[in-house]
Amino acid sequence: MDSFGVFNVSASALSAQRQRMNVIASNLANAHTTRTAEGGPYRRQDVVFTTEPVIAGEAGLDGVKVDSIVRDDSPFTTVYDPGHPDADQDGFVAMPNVNVIEEMVNMMMASRAYEASVTSFNLSKSMYLKTLELGKV
Amino acid sequence: MSDGFSILERVVHQAGVRNGALASNIANVDTPNYKARDVSFGEVLGTEMGLATTDPKHLSGSRSEGAVELRTEDTQPWADGNNVELDQEVAKMTENAMFFQAGVTLLSKKIQMFKNALRTT
Repeated sequence: MDSFGVFNVSASALSAQRQRMNVIASNLANAHTTRTAEGGPYRRQDVVFTTEPVIAGEAGLDGVKVDSIVRDDSPFTTVYDPGHPDADQDGFVAMPNVNVIEEMVNMMMASRAYEASVTSFNLSKSMYLKTLELGKV
Repeated sequence: MSDGFSILERVVHQAGVRNGALASNIANVDTPNYKARDVSFGEVLGTEMGLATTDPKHLSGSRSEGAVELRTEDTQPWADGNNVELDQEVAKMTENAMFFQAGVTLLSKKIQMFKNALRTT
């Protein structure tokens, strides 16, 4: 049994939540991007988390990792803006399917989950530091 | 006399395992279909520590170094199939850390007692 596996659990959560935060930041940054390399407006992305045992065969210690980054294929929002260079003949522009409010909520969730993992890391650390004091008189 | 050591050792071990389970829960707070896990402390302490046998008819509890049983919580899951409640997990983890430190402090005191007994003024 690896006594320090629990630190890897918390660390995996920190890096997964940070990656999620990066994706959310991309979504927010591209909330009005109408031209992308693939053509068309920017498509919102989202992360999918999955559990990952930090030590093979060790039950009860499951970290987390980003399984994949998926594209959100929901329809684009259309905005009436005839002056826009990407407007169609009726004057409508297809805008990214990014909902800024939704992204902000997701960002807060990622931030809170990150904080919780930092708390969990610190609690484990204080426990192990305490054991190092064993026998010290 | 040395009984205290093995009991405290077990307490510290259980708290360590529980800490791992709770840390996993917090790490997987946004993982779809993840189910929260915990160690049932009352049951563990009851069976693992072996309750006092004050009468010959009493059965001494099992003292085997058994693996700690993890159980999954069956609380109502969120829409994504995950049933971790972050605030509760953090609270449990804090409580567990206190329990762990209490065990370690007691172990420390016990060692200190032995050291004092061995000391030749």
